[in-house]
Amino acid sequence: MSGFAAWVREATEPSAAAGKPEALGGIRVLEFCPGHFGGMVAASVLAEFGAEVIKVEPPDGDPLRLVAPEEILVAGTGLPFLSEARNRRFVTLDADDSAGRDVFRRLALSADVIITTEPPERMEAMGCDYLSLREERPGIVYLSLSTFGGFGPDASRPVRDSDILCQALSGAPYIVGEQEREGVPPRPHEAPTRLGNWHGSFVQGLWGAYGVLAALHFRAETGKGQAVDLSGAESLMMFADYNITWMHTGGKARERVGNFDPAVFPYTYIRCRDGYTFIAAYNDEAFDSLMHIIGRPELARDPRFSTPKNRVALENERALLTVLEEWSGGRTADEILVAVEEYTSKRGGPGAAVVTGRVNRPLETLSEEHWRERGCFLRERDPVYGELLLAAPPWKMSGTPARWKSGCRPPGADNRDVYLGLLGMTEEEYRRLAEAGTF
Amino acid sequence: MPSDPGGSRAFAGRAFDPAAIPGKPEALAGVRVLEVATRIFGPATADYLGLFGAEVIKVEMPPRGDLMRYVAPEGFFWKEVSPAFLSLNRNKLHVGLDLHPPEGKELFLRLAKRSDVVVENLRAGTMDGWGVGYLQLRERNRRIVYAANSGFGQWGPYAAGRASYDATAQAVSGFSAVTGFPDQPPMKAGFWVGDYTAALMSATAILAALAARRKTGEGQMIDLSQAEAMIRTLDWTWPYAGMTGKDRVRNGNVDPSYTPSGIYRCRDGFVAVSARDEDEVIPLAHALGATDPEEASIATPERVGAFCASRRVDEVVRIAEDAGFSAAPVRGGKDHYHDPHLRARGTVCSVDDPLYGRVDEYGPAPKLSESPGRVKWSAKPVGWHNERVFGDLLGMTTGEMEALARKKVIGKWADIPGARPPKGSAP
Repeated sequence: MSGFAAWVREATEPSAAAGKPEALGGIRVLEFCPGHFGGMVAASVLAEFGAEVIKVEPPDGDPLRLVAPEEILVAGTGLPFLSEARNRRFVTLDADDSAGRDVFRRLALSADVIITTEPPERMEAMGCDYLSLREERPGIVYLSLSTFGGFGPDASRPVRDSDILCQALSGAPYIVGEQEREGVPPRPHEAPTRLGNWHGSFVQGLWGAYGVLAALHFRAETGKGQAVDLSGAESLMMFADYNITWMHTGGKARERVGNFDPAVFPYTYIRCRDGYTFIAAYNDEAFDSLMHIIGRPELARDPRFSTPKNRVALENERALLTVLEEWSGGRTADEILVAVEEYTSKRGGPGAAVVTGRVNRPLETLSEEHWRERGCFLRERDPVYGELLLAAPPWKMSGTPARWKSGCRPPGADNRDVYLGLLGMTEEEYRRLAEAGTF
Repeated sequence: MPSDPGGSRAFAGRAFDPAAIPGKPEALAGVRVLEVATRIFGPATADYLGLFGAEVIKVEMPPRGDLMRYVAPEGFFWKEVSPAFLSLNRNKLHVGLDLHPPEGKELFLRLAKRSDVVVENLRAGTMDGWGVGYLQLRERNRRIVYAANSGFGQWGPYAAGRASYDATAQAVSGFSAVTGFPDQPPMKAGFWVGDYTAALMSATAILAALAARRKTGEGQMIDLSQAEAMIRTLDWTWPYAGMTGKDRVRNGNVDPSYTPSGIYRCRDGFVAVSARDEDEVIPLAHALGATDPEEASIATPERVGAFCASRRVDEVVRIAEDAGFSAAPVRGGKDHYHDPHLRARGTVCSVDDPLYGRVDEYGPAPKLSESPGRVKWSAKPVGWHNERVFGDLLGMTTGEMEALARKKVIGKWADIPGARPPKGSAP
């Protein structure tokens, strides 16, 4: 390891994060996002950087707890909720009840940031829309998440926000998946293809956290709070490459081309002896390197492949894929990696830009020592939810590292702490509200 | 305290009006960012900061600059610039500076002394090897926040020398293994999701580090691996693997957490049908022909598929709106370009660029009522802002700049498409 790598390792080692200060210490976030994963992600990101997050659930628990792929429930909670329920306090509250609304409003007025996925009409009915909170707390940052956003011609369309809606509208699936063939009925997979994870919700949550941080930065400079409006569809849309610039400048709409690419090639998955691996070498120098690596240096001068423009003609991409797979078919992904690294280590600059990486199944990713060493996964043991394998915060930081501090707890587990400790309720008031079913 | 019913929507219409944005302050005004990056991961990170008002100085190696300049869909360049480069490099100042010669390093250190943030995405350790890494920069500027974006991180067995692109992260993280259809090979996302996702995470960490700096006065180093960023987005994949010892499988277009929610083929396109819970599954089942709530189980992917196959997309959306489940069309770039909703929100916006004229872009997704993000200008040729940055910011004389240009320490565009200005426009 180089001196620099050793320094970074020591400075950012995740297992040493616990004693260090947190970037967002002192920022309180109120999360009111029943049944909504993207809202949880936004809150989790802020919480991983040290914000104090209080999640408000209905008295019988957040409906998202019941979402359970393959019907796996642990103590009444499904794996999606368990994977994202971190670094927060869990309180319950009946927000449809007037005493509950009062408690909610007290919580909201103690917070720096509100994250909500409920429609504005409901927040108004609770007296907790942005305008009424702002009157008493002008510095408040108020993040609303929805499918279409809070203004514009489609803003009042009656949908309940979800990953699949945000993905569909974003333009992402439109350019993921196999093309239909001419003259034959399409097969099921020849369709716009959803990203298999909840990427729409994740990116919605990430842009939400980013918008909040930009607003907090502005507040630190000016004292002013603000409203942040975020559409989940537009969140993932931001990642749809040059869709708009190409439409504008060339009048072309991007279409899906399977594992090919309209702008760079080779840039694809190739079949190898033990599965698939990624291979890319799209600038001329790198392409020349790759043709040397596969023992076909003459192809760098083949007119089909000799310029970037010719390499991205779809029929040439198909021809080149065949050539590449003739070479890769008998080799393992690791052998391909070694061949690439051996060659590129002797060649600097643009010629070294031959890039590969095995298409891992999740268990293969888990088996790789690299991620273990970097503390990428956590195995946490909880008295209620047992042993859970979780993804750690991805940011390694030398000064105020992001970190995982605590996992899921049952609905209302922190009611006493929050309502007595933070809101200053008396024992009597707490008991009365609990008995009335407010929480 | 009693709120004005409907007041929030009326407020939103006024407070987020795109026409009012130019007169409003910017959230990150006063933050200066140095970008030493190529292609997407680093440039997108700086782009996200620039959209909200940071001053981004993009440092490129003259004369060819960022190799993303030559990534052009179907080889198409418009006014000598690739549309793929435009969308990643808004609101930036472009300088051509070679970090190899000692004078280049010194110039970079002078810039870093007056900056708040450095974003780079070179192979791990490259900047340190050049003498302009975090440790050297920190000597000159304790307040610097340094984001090192890479494929595998700055340390660990795979860190040294291993290059990475978007699809490396898609591949090695397990993301591709869960995307696509069970009877087909893993599907690579056709857009560069492994770059953008990680870039947004990097920009987020930079804002967190700036918040920390406000309290401590100290900057810090951020080490972000794009594969680890993608690993973090795989929701229940990891607890499932830990609990069952099994791989989560590809599930095609049906979301296994919300069956039958998914993407379905209609007569004239594709639609997403969404039913989060019973409140939506029962109306969906009704639309499919069920007559009482007990029959909710008829809402299978097969039944939804058959229902959609004989209808148009807009019919399914209308039926959903009337019945009480959710649906939305699968839309592409052409739909976005012509969408009045996205135009009204500034999510598709036009910028009047002094060099290129009108350029349409995706604008920033988060809408901020007081300090909104915005696209101010488009990408520029290599070294376009040399005089502004080296002259106005660092106070160099024309003579000094000419001497450095003769030694090829600073420079401008190569005379090739992608790097140079539009024909007839060069000064």
